[in-house]
Amino acid sequence: MADKIKSPVDLLALAEKAKAEVELRSGAKDIKVTVHMGTCGIAAGAREVVMAFLSEVSNAGLENVTVHQAGCAGLCEMEPMATVRTADGSLYHYGHLEDRSRVREIVRSHLAGGTPVTEYLIKTPQA
Amino acid sequence: MAEQAKERNPGCTGCEEASEEELLRRLDEVIANYKTRPGALIPVLQMAQGIFGYLPEVALKRIARGLGKSYSEVAGVVSFYSFFSTVPRGRNLIRVCLGTACYVRGGMKVLEALKKHLGIDVGETTPDREFSLEVARCFGACGLSPVITINDNVHHRVKPTRVAEVLAQYASNDGPQDQVVRADEVQATTEGLEVPRPGGEVIADEAPVGPSEAVSAGAGERRV
Amino acid sequence: MDKVRTDVLVCTGGGCIASGALEVSAAFSKELEDLELDEEVRVIETGCLGPCAVGPVVLVYPDGVFYQNVKLEDVHEIVEEHLLKGRVVQRLVSQAPGTDRTVAEISDVEFFNRQVKIVLRNSGLIDPLKIEEYIARGGYQALAKVLTEMTPEQVIDEVTLSGLRGRGGAGFPTGLKWKFARQTPSEVKYIICNADEGDPGAFMDRSVLEGDPHSVIEGMAIGAYAIGAKQGYVYLRAEYPLAVERLQYAIDQARERGLLGPDILSTGFDFDLEIRMGSGAFVCGEETALMRSIEGGRGEPRPRPPFPAVKGLWDKPSVLNNVETFANIAPIIMKGAEWFASTGTEKSKGTKVFALGGAIQHAGLVEVPIGIQLGEIVYEIGGGIPDGKQLKAVQLGGPSGGCIPKTDLNVPIDYETLQDLGAIMGSGGCIVMDEDSCMVDVARYFLDFIQDESCGKCPPCRVGTKRMLEIVTRICNGEGREGDIERLEELGQIIKDTALCGLGQTAPNPVLSTIRHFRHEYEAHIRDHYCEAGVCTSLFTARCTNACPASVNVPGFVSLIGEKRFHEALRLHRERNPLASICGRVCFHPCESKCQRGALDAPVAIRSLKRFMTEQETEIELPEVRVDPSNAARKIAIIGSGPAGLSCAYFLARLGYKPIIFEKESSPGGMLVQAIPAYRLPREEVGREISMIESMGVTIQTGTALGRDFTWADLRAQGYEAVFLAVGAPQGIRLGIPGERGEGVMEALTFLRDYNLTGTARVGEEVVVVGGGNSAIDAARTARRLGARHVTILYRRQRNQMPAWTEEVVAADEEGITILELTAPKQILRDAQKRVVGVLCERMALGDYDRSGRRRPVAGRNPDFTVRCDQVIVAIGQSLDASALLDGLPVGLEHGWVKADPRTGATSIEWLFAGGDAVSGPASVVEAVAAGERAAVGIDQYLTGANHAFWRREVAVDVPFDPDADPVATPRAPVVCLDPELRACTFAEVELPWSLETAVAEAKRCLRCDYGKVSAIAAEAEAIVQRAAEQEAGLVAAHGAGLVTSHVAGVAQTEGEVD
Repeated sequence: MADKIKSPVDLLALAEKAKAEVELRSGAKDIKVTVHMGTCGIAAGAREVVMAFLSEVSNAGLENVTVHQAGCAGLCEMEPMATVRTADGSLYHYGHLEDRSRVREIVRSHLAGGTPVTEYLIKTPQA
Repeated sequence: MAEQAKERNPGCTGCEEASEEELLRRLDEVIANYKTRPGALIPVLQMAQGIFGYLPEVALKRIARGLGKSYSEVAGVVSFYSFFSTVPRGRNLIRVCLGTACYVRGGMKVLEALKKHLGIDVGETTPDREFSLEVARCFGACGLSPVITINDNVHHRVKPTRVAEVLAQYASNDGPQDQVVRADEVQATTEGLEVPRPGGEVIADEAPVGPSEAVSAGAGERRV
Repeated sequence: MDKVRTDVLVCTGGGCIASGALEVSAAFSKELEDLELDEEVRVIETGCLGPCAVGPVVLVYPDGVFYQNVKLEDVHEIVEEHLLKGRVVQRLVSQAPGTDRTVAEISDVEFFNRQVKIVLRNSGLIDPLKIEEYIARGGYQALAKVLTEMTPEQVIDEVTLSGLRGRGGAGFPTGLKWKFARQTPSEVKYIICNADEGDPGAFMDRSVLEGDPHSVIEGMAIGAYAIGAKQGYVYLRAEYPLAVERLQYAIDQARERGLLGPDILSTGFDFDLEIRMGSGAFVCGEETALMRSIEGGRGEPRPRPPFPAVKGLWDKPSVLNNVETFANIAPIIMKGAEWFASTGTEKSKGTKVFALGGAIQHAGLVEVPIGIQLGEIVYEIGGGIPDGKQLKAVQLGGPSGGCIPKTDLNVPIDYETLQDLGAIMGSGGCIVMDEDSCMVDVARYFLDFIQDESCGKCPPCRVGTKRMLEIVTRICNGEGREGDIERLEELGQIIKDTALCGLGQTAPNPVLSTIRHFRHEYEAHIRDHYCEAGVCTSLFTARCTNACPASVNVPGFVSLIGEKRFHEALRLHRERNPLASICGRVCFHPCESKCQRGALDAPVAIRSLKRFMTEQETEIELPEVRVDPSNAARKIAIIGSGPAGLSCAYFLARLGYKPIIFEKESSPGGMLVQAIPAYRLPREEVGREISMIESMGVTIQTGTALGRDFTWADLRAQGYEAVFLAVGAPQGIRLGIPGERGEGVMEALTFLRDYNLTGTARVGEEVVVVGGGNSAIDAARTARRLGARHVTILYRRQRNQMPAWTEEVVAADEEGITILELTAPKQILRDAQKRVVGVLCERMALGDYDRSGRRRPVAGRNPDFTVRCDQVIVAIGQSLDASALLDGLPVGLEHGWVKADPRTGATSIEWLFAGGDAVSGPASVVEAVAAGERAAVGIDQYLTGANHAFWRREVAVDVPFDPDADPVATPRAPVVCLDPELRACTFAEVELPWSLETAVAEAKRCLRCDYGKVSAIAAEAEAIVQRAAEQEAGLVAAHGAGLVTSHVAGVAQTEGEVD
């Protein structure tokens, strides 16, 4: 039997705790990370990259980021790849993200701090 | 809370072979449970119909006595609500939706086709007690009109020319055991006309469908 | 795995469950398990997402990809492609309307992105069986807020300020209702939720209870706090088992969590809830009846006052609101009254959920701001009418509401406006009706419903609706009498004024509103025994025949074709329409759109069969002609040899008359030869049927024009006793823009006439045609064949609204003609030599809905542009110069056309009859044929005082048919066309003949709606007339009331007078 909610404070606490349950469905956020998961991407470890982004985003406490998956970006030699779309619509393509530390750096520097990690970028931003 | 669910649902299983005494005993339980609650008559009648499949006079008298009401008051309430039936229904209850959306999309033609096919009118039961035919006003599946329900299964976008196919799924040749229809087979034979029952069970799980089952399900007494 | 990365939401609203959603959901779980993805991808069964018609629907988050019509066998592909590899399965996502672009994301789907979700905020997004998900979305925080921070009075003030009005129908202000109950002193009070959603066609309450039950519980708890109640009841329909199940589950959960029961959130507030199930009585939707039912009695209403807020359930102060109203409460408390009031209109705030159903593409549940235009719901959100049919009306408010015709699509939907139009907001049932709905039948349907559901307590409702039902039923059966409409109006008013409860008082609404907006349909049923929609089956034998303006016995000739009895088939056709070959090529076949076969697979290709039949004709066989020397001696003139004139002459000839036709041009046929191009209608076909008519004793004098070669006075002086005026609509309409006058701009009719009559017409290199009708397409395709390098059609509305027939538009496309939609000419540009060099065009945008139910084109914001050309052909309409034509003859006109009795063609001058385009405005061949026939009967009646139309007798064909055989789905035989490459420079007929096998097989697809009905109908009609005759003592014949177009009455009428 679930615990009784005894006060408004309890209620808020439960809401906070349960938030993760529905977070994925909460609609468009400011920043969208798309991990490219074509056959080659998956072979190169794209699934792990998705999970890495999710947990890093969650660790960093970022609430304005959603992580999506999409098909092959067409640059197989750069896989695994991810595209970051920021609130202003700019696109940043990152490549070779096998190493989780790269994901961590992108999350901290770019998603949280607003500074793209140029080192891992494949292309310069497009309008 | 399981207590409550059970209490709401006393007649839901194994009523097929039960004797009349057994059924009346269950009715007495229901009456005892509800006796002290305000406005008990209608819920008790709903339960009773779930137990018996319809409302025989003996049950009505028992209810009247149990709740301390006159028989005429009980009978008056029964006759007021279309949901209550004082005559037994067929093994399969067909309800044709004549809500506006279904009507506009040809529900009447479906009804005519069913009448013709079964050779009975609305409110009647086939001589072999296989099918009863009723009309209903809207199941709230207007997006899929025209709709009919057979027992608890919703059949949507029914075409008058195809009612035979729909009914074939319920017809029994050598007794109820043979009417087992698996949902996946249905899918194959009727091109999407069939539907699984709400609650996620395939039809096979509940064959044979006794009259009481059909009715009690209609009364919304399925388990969560 | 430390986190779920994707949620798969499977809609398990009632509609989707009925389409197999539960199996789809189970399949997802299994597939994911097999691929070991079940820890990172979650499957969640949610409440209704709305678009029930395309269910089962599945939403994948966070991508927001929306899949529709997901079948069991699709699950594997979605899991494999999308959930594993991240590739959206394009095949299962919806298409953006009017484009080839598929839309994947839910935010792109028009159905969703015009909605504003307050009530349905969680529906489809959360798992209704998990209270935690509701709480995670902010649930129960409004309850916490009111219990800890607000007094009951403050709650009531907030709700009052928000402007929320009861969503159950009448729209009473919710805050006010609560205030009354609050102010009534009593130890015990009740709060009740009306979930007895009895209006057929409304299912929003069900959806909320199934998809977000806690929102109702929370709203009720807040209401209970506000009025001071401790106990609540939800009165729920027994027909909604899933809603009962989920609400009960939610109540149990809330109780378990301490959100229901004693001392909620340790604030000392006690509140609990119980479900009571309805038992199938519509009247229990009325508040006093509902309370009586909870008490355990017969659900009969009682008079108010006292109002329930003072004396309700068990005589205690009670508040009754419906499900949708309660679902609005928590957001109002959390976001504030001002936020809520910012949506909606001045008097009606917030949103309204509508259950969109009937003849609509995207049936389902939509939540829209109050004040939205009806047209936006029907077209933008609902996706319009399926199968290319026309909208007729929208029924709002169920049995208490009314129908809004398509002429009022512009109206904002709010409580007051709807009331003014004779409808009501009601609980939100929104049933779209197309041309196949008969409004008299709809009224009968609702009356039948009300009559069935009337509790019987008060006589106005019990007896009054019964009486009304009798009258409406009589009208539907073809037994209506003059005065019936007025009787209905009178009865309706009495019931409105005197019935006891709201249901009784609104019961006449469906009848009164249909009379108000569709009186002509009632009149057609009563006077002509004609049901335009083809619904009232006692009025006709088959829907196709009923739809044919000329009442051709369609199942008859089609079934004879199936037997290869072509001559008999043709003879039967020519009983009612002499121009079989012509119509076999150019008829717009209204019969096909009513074909019953369409309900099974596709309509029978009636027009193509007709064409095939005429191709089998070796020698014209003349129809039955009744020789009558006295008729032959009467002088009748027909002016104009188009289809109306030819038809009138044909039928007069069959009665033994010898009429003469005067034709202005050098060859007979009117528009058939002047306007319709030969590639659609070969001239020898026209010639053949004209010769047939001539050989029956009709004289056609060509090159003889009224006003030029003879005058009205001449006709009378020469002893013509009756004249039929059928000159068509021969003049074009000008654009009225600069540069129009002068060389290089011509009217389509002139252009087509020049070419068709003389064999040559001037055509440019680059040609622009303005207009969207058949004349525009004919001119464009003709210009192309005469050597124009490029032809562009400018049309000011959207392409799918072009009045030209779809087949023609498609053919124009195939022939390389450019169609620019939403483009209007502004100026015709000329060079120094005054030669046309181009058209300056304006980009149009779609404005409000006009009276035709289409969006009005208005000037758009895009810049003007120029289409280069050296010739402009104008095809924007046709007219009649009536004053020149009539030359002082005092004939009544209507909108510039000659006014004539639609039944007899009689004009305001007793010897002058008229028909065809000159009366109706530009219409079709078959309508002109029908007008000619009616005028022939009218003229005969005028000359002899009796009706001799023997051909109107319906005869049964003897083709055998097994009505018990179940039809097997077979595709419709396609039209075969000449290769577009070959068409460009030839006037050879585009449509190619069918083979014998194709035609016979196609004919056998006919379902024979006439089978066994002809004799029954004839007998019925006889009986009706008999009764009418007895009642009105022979007045029928004398007044010509029996001179009706319907074959039914026609049969009866001629009975005894002919033979």
